[in-house]
Amino acid sequence: MTPETNVLLVEDEPQIRRFVRTTLEGEGCRVFEAESGQRGLIEAGTRKPDLLIVDLGLPDMDGVELIREFRSWSEAPVLILSARSDERDKVEALDAGADDYLTKPFGVGELAARVRALQRRRLKGLEASPKVSFGRVELDLSRRTVLRDGQPIHLTPIEYRLLGVLVGNAGKVMTHRSLMREVWGPNYGDSGHYLRIYMSHLRQKLEADPAQPVHFLTETGVGYRFQP
Amino acid sequence: MAGDSHITRGKAYAWALAASLLTAGVATLLRHVLDLANIVMLFLLTVFLVARWLGRGPAVMATFLSVALFDVFFVPPRFSFAVSDVQYLVTFAVMLAVGLVTAELTTGLKHQAEVALQKERDAHGLYELARDLAGVIGLEQLEAALGRYLSGLGFEAALHFLDDQGHLPSLADKPLPLRLALMATAQGEPVEMDDPGDLSRLVIPLKGPMRVRGVMIVGAADLANLATDRQLLGTVASLVALTVERLHYVDVAQASQIEVTSERLRSSVLSALSHDLRTPLTALVGMADSLALSRETMSEATRSLAAGIRDQARAMSHLLGNLLDMARLHAGKVQLRREWQLFEDVVSASLHLLRPNLGDHPVQVGLPPDMPLVEFDAVLLERVVCNLVENAAKYSPPGSSIEIRAFVDGDRAGISVCDQGRGFPPGQLERVFGLFERGQAESSTPGVGLGLAISRAIVEAHGGTIVAANRPEGGACVTLRLPLGTPPAIEAEPSEIQEKKP
Repeated sequence: MTPETNVLLVEDEPQIRRFVRTTLEGEGCRVFEAESGQRGLIEAGTRKPDLLIVDLGLPDMDGVELIREFRSWSEAPVLILSARSDERDKVEALDAGADDYLTKPFGVGELAARVRALQRRRLKGLEASPKVSFGRVELDLSRRTVLRDGQPIHLTPIEYRLLGVLVGNAGKVMTHRSLMREVWGPNYGDSGHYLRIYMSHLRQKLEADPAQPVHFLTETGVGYRFQP
Repeated sequence: MAGDSHITRGKAYAWALAASLLTAGVATLLRHVLDLANIVMLFLLTVFLVARWLGRGPAVMATFLSVALFDVFFVPPRFSFAVSDVQYLVTFAVMLAVGLVTAELTTGLKHQAEVALQKERDAHGLYELARDLAGVIGLEQLEAALGRYLSGLGFEAALHFLDDQGHLPSLADKPLPLRLALMATAQGEPVEMDDPGDLSRLVIPLKGPMRVRGVMIVGAADLANLATDRQLLGTVASLVALTVERLHYVDVAQASQIEVTSERLRSSVLSALSHDLRTPLTALVGMADSLALSRETMSEATRSLAAGIRDQARAMSHLLGNLLDMARLHAGKVQLRREWQLFEDVVSASLHLLRPNLGDHPVQVGLPPDMPLVEFDAVLLERVVCNLVENAAKYSPPGSSIEIRAFVDGDRAGISVCDQGRGFPPGQLERVFGLFERGQAESSTPGVGLGLAISRAIVEAHGGTIVAANRPEGGACVTLRLPLGTPPAIEAEPSEIQEKKP
């Protein structure tokens, strides 16, 4: 049985709420709407949504604040809608606990795909498998082996750790800061260039065309996303 | 000096002569009452008074005259220079010596008193000038206060200020003063200009605490006057320079105040514009896309109309992004968020973003695996690469390939984007970066020529260069280069080194 997904949409613009609602209902979700941050917090408390969609440019409160509050008691995925081109807001929201973002304007196809990916992640978290495969790569987390086209690939400990973190958060946008913290520890905050070098190594070793990667994607100004 | 200046030299000597003769006359009348010794005193008193009022020359003359008159009229035998008693020779010598010393001392004292008085006047004048200058709030007022002060001294003055490039625009059409003024500012010392048939002038640099601000050209009828008051004029120049500098920083402070205010206004207008325009565009894109993908029965034509609306709204949003970026860049207030990173990230992210817009253009990417880290703002550079690739797709025939290549060239790292289209119109390779410039004057390809202008603004903000070229085999190439700098060191993983050993 697949339980119906309850989605809470916090967005002040009624026209945007309308088509987002239509799209989500087309995906079989039940949609609750809130037109302000305060209203959103109340709705979140009563509806206990399985997915929260928040516009970062709310008139009454900072969307980041809302996400932080929500995260303090819920593990449900959070998707940001951001009209601002300023990457800093997205990074802040992601570091506050958001899982993914969509930059306005976005198509309904993109929206549906993101929502589906977040739902999948939520359900998949329950049945963790030690074996992951993407493209021509097979990763066995229990035996710590990486195969590409059936051939073993040698990864350094840091490369392996980075791969592990990315695969563990598949589909999710990881900010530079959170990746640095997970792989190098909290003291490497300012050495973002290490992350870029090692990401490049992973692409060289695991992508079919490292210059046009399909799994290790750059979210410019924000971080990276692993797409299985 | 002031009280006596109307007494000319000749008159002074005449007065000295008259005084000496008068003394001789009075002494003759008193000859039977007074001793010769006291008559000597009368003569000395005269010498002293002459020295006090008429100056040194007349006093010396009065001394000799007194000795002679005393000898002739009083010392026996009278009415002859002969002296009966040799003792009187001593009297003459003493009289002469005392007279000369008195003349010297008195006039010296008087001169010193005059100098002191003059200095006091100068100091008072300078004090008043300084007080006036402290209150001025503009260069016109400064010039007026200075003119008032210097005309009191019998001078006239003009101020000429250096501009930011070190030129003196107000002297541009006067070659000689310009040359002397530049000499004075370069040396930091006053330069004299003796112009026959005109006023003599002294060109004094205005040396402020931070830098030389210009020159003050002082004119007087006679170069000698300028020479005596040179020190005073130097002080005046310092006061003026300080005032000019103060006015300069008042301007700077006001300008930055205005700039802050207008900057705040501009950025709030921009973000309001950005929000207010993007919100309806978002709704438009979303709703048109809903229609285009709708499962309800609709004719293919209706569906493609909806898709058309969606694509146009998207293009408009893209244009809006470019316009807002350009506005921010033009305001010169974009803060670059520079980080050390790889071109690889930017190129791959741009291609990922553009994938739906590239149609059937195959893209060839040449990224050497050993490209160094370069310091840049990833978001802005992504916009540059997107613009270049989009242009390449827009201006080349469908199906032709686009090449993106990264390279290191001396102390610069670059990216070039080349297509197989018609290339840029020859002779316009520089002009294509101008605002709203497009290759062809009238073209059916959509989009204002904003992309290249923004690209150039972004690259130049990074201290880089961007050039357009046509390839000999056909097609356009745009190449950007950024300075390499010194990338941070990367420590190799210990295990990596160990594992290289057999």
